[in-house]
Amino acid sequence: MSSRSFHSVFMVASCATAALGCYLVSLRVASERAALEDVESQIVVAQRDMRVLQTEIGTRGRLSQLERWNAGEFALSAPNADQFLKGSFELAQLVRPEHKLQFQAPVVLASAPAPTPPKALGQPAVDDSGSPAAVAGNPLLHEASLKIETREVPARTVVALPQTTARSTDKPATAAKLVKDKSVGKPGLAAAQPIRKALGKSAPKQVATKSRPSPKKSVDKPIVESARAVTKPVRLAKVDPLAPLPARHSNHSKEIAAER
Amino acid sequence: MNAPTPALVAPRPERLRLVGQRRQLLALMHQRLMFGMLVYAGIVAIIALRILYLAAFGDHAGRKEELTAYVPDRGDIVDRDGVPLARTIDAWTIAVHPNKVIGDKLALAQKLALLMPERSEEQYFALLRSGKTFFYLRRRASPELVEAVNAIGEPGLAIEREPDRLYPQTTLAAHVIGFTNIDGRGGAGAERAFDSYLSDPRTRGTPLVLSISSKVQQALQAELGDAMQHFSAIGAAGVVMDVHTGEVLAMTSLPDFNPNAPGQATPDQMFNRATLGVFELGSTFKPFTLAMAMDSGVVSGPAEMLNCPEVLPAYGHLIHDTHPFGRRCSIAEIMMESSNIGMAQIADMVGTQRQKAWLKKMGFLDRVEIELKEKGRPLTPGSRWGPFETMTIGFGQGIAVAPLQLAMGYATLFDGGIYHPPTILKIGPGHPLAPGRRVFSADTSYRMRSLLRLVVMKGTGRKADAPGYRVGGKTGTAQKLIDGHYSKTINLTSFAGVFPMDDPRYVIVVMLDEPKATPETYGFTTAGWNVAPVVSKTVSRIAPMLGVAPDMSREPNMAEVLPYVQDAKKKQDSSKD
Repeated sequence: MSSRSFHSVFMVASCATAALGCYLVSLRVASERAALEDVESQIVVAQRDMRVLQTEIGTRGRLSQLERWNAGEFALSAPNADQFLKGSFELAQLVRPEHKLQFQAPVVLASAPAPTPPKALGQPAVDDSGSPAAVAGNPLLHEASLKIETREVPARTVVALPQTTARSTDKPATAAKLVKDKSVGKPGLAAAQPIRKALGKSAPKQVATKSRPSPKKSVDKPIVESARAVTKPVRLAKVDPLAPLPARHSNHSKEIAAER
Repeated sequence: MNAPTPALVAPRPERLRLVGQRRQLLALMHQRLMFGMLVYAGIVAIIALRILYLAAFGDHAGRKEELTAYVPDRGDIVDRDGVPLARTIDAWTIAVHPNKVIGDKLALAQKLALLMPERSEEQYFALLRSGKTFFYLRRRASPELVEAVNAIGEPGLAIEREPDRLYPQTTLAAHVIGFTNIDGRGGAGAERAFDSYLSDPRTRGTPLVLSISSKVQQALQAELGDAMQHFSAIGAAGVVMDVHTGEVLAMTSLPDFNPNAPGQATPDQMFNRATLGVFELGSTFKPFTLAMAMDSGVVSGPAEMLNCPEVLPAYGHLIHDTHPFGRRCSIAEIMMESSNIGMAQIADMVGTQRQKAWLKKMGFLDRVEIELKEKGRPLTPGSRWGPFETMTIGFGQGIAVAPLQLAMGYATLFDGGIYHPPTILKIGPGHPLAPGRRVFSADTSYRMRSLLRLVVMKGTGRKADAPGYRVGGKTGTAQKLIDGHYSKTINLTSFAGVFPMDDPRYVIVVMLDEPKATPETYGFTTAGWNVAPVVSKTVSRIAPMLGVAPDMSREPNMAEVLPYVQDAKKKQDSSKD
């Protein structure tokens, strides 16, 4: 009964709600539209401002003004016909690489030490008293196919090794000097044993923990024999004989003298 | 209170009658009330429906006009690259209502004289006391000035914004753009020719795109201005035109004026020498005569030999040359040395009727077909057009055309012989290329290339050459007609050039009015000395902008003409022998 009697009320209420909903939607639409139009009018205002600014810039930078500056202040003129290039090839043709002698490059080394080796090699052979056969045999062969920096370090360190182990009796003083140069922190360690220990410690740490030191040495040794002959001439040749570098040269020669 | 109801008490007859009347009255009232209510309800319903309708579909109260883009009060004019040449902006205007001034007028006059020194204190005071209702103090005032005037705080001063036409490039292409008068209507140039387009609210939103290229225009105007100053000429004109479309890329007339202040310009400055002025342009006409002769078959080509005496007697007159051959010479040589005697004979072979027909076809006998309203009517011999006049027209005397018409003629000649009317509107989607009409044959057009290139390579126009750009063209030195006689000393020099000559794309016509001799020209006032260098300088500036790449290895087919030119050295040798 109640539902029947309230039927009309529900109908009215639902109609009112629907109408209100519709009205709210339209209100919302209208307000959105108004906001949009505000933005549009802002755009128009901005366009007008932009025009004003563009016009001002255009007027200040007008072509006759630029012409006056170009002709009067900067003395610019139109490019000639031969100043135009057709493409990247013509551009590249204009710039030829300048042929410069690079003294540090190994290319110079291949020819430079040719007259000097007998002297350079003769001296260390006498001083070292190590392996004259290996030194005299192949100086020029190796120079051409060498990477100096990589071999210098292992060669040097290992150079000390055979001296101390095999030919320790001949000249311990030179060996001690070499070691001094290398091991910076330990000035008192002239003996061979600590160096070997140090090597033994450092090498496995760097390469691998389980690898034995003896096979590694055997691998190094052939390198050592060749490198030994190579290192010194390379070091000498690094200083260009023609280069006017007195300071460097003297330093280097002192170093060599000290080594000797 | 307890009055009996009529239903319970038997009414009296009078009362009955009365009741009947009341009932009738009541019924009538009910009817009327009902009617009124219905009307009311109807109105309410209409209003409600209208509100609902408006809520659903209508505009809301704060709605503005449909503005989605800024529409200026007068359309913009831009060049072919979109560089604005004319714009309408809101400018500040300072005015005064003398009757509304409440402060001390003398003090106000003092302050105004301090801020705007163009009038004196006394003048301002007189204006303020004049009793007039309104007058302008300054139009297009700077914001600083407006601020300062506003700070005076006088209510009689009116500071308003009003649309104002501004030409950002000032004198650039002033004659093409024109100017607007004080009412904002076009006074000259494109402003006048396209006034309805620029002021129509439907069309003014899109700018008017001219075919002018402001960079080319600037180069031409600057070089021509330099030459005019250097040679103390009284006037100059120049046109650069696209050969294939007839678009005018640059058109200048000097002296020019500033369209921002058209009131200050003199009539001489306003005069458009390129379209309104007609001039006897002299030898620049010769290529047309030769083309007519070659096209109609009276001359076979550059190889044909003509007799070129020192002086040619013709129809009771004598025709002279500046550098007479005095021997038989080829057509190529006649062209190269710009021989009047040779060209007069060629024109005579063409004949009056054919010459008239050709000139008509080329548009030389009518006003030039361009949108501008400032167009001059060409001057021809008219009824006196006899065989001698035909000869003089053959070398450019006796016919006066506008420089733009000359450019148009060269464009026709080198566009394969097809005429396109010149236009100052950019050819594009909104303005398609007008159909052309054939005037010369394509073969004639092709053969003219090497002939005109020869003039620049070896002939009178050597100074017009811009290395790499293959300029070809013809010089023209016309004696000015002063008091009915051709002056011996006062000239009008012109050069009509085409580049690149191996594939013609642009025409350049340059004219100097009364150039004077300078030490560099060794006293000469002929075209080869004064206008030809302008062409060289202008072409080397504009050609790269127009996409013409310099190439030292390209030339038109010079083998067609070079064998028929007798070298100066050879000539000497032969004379020795």
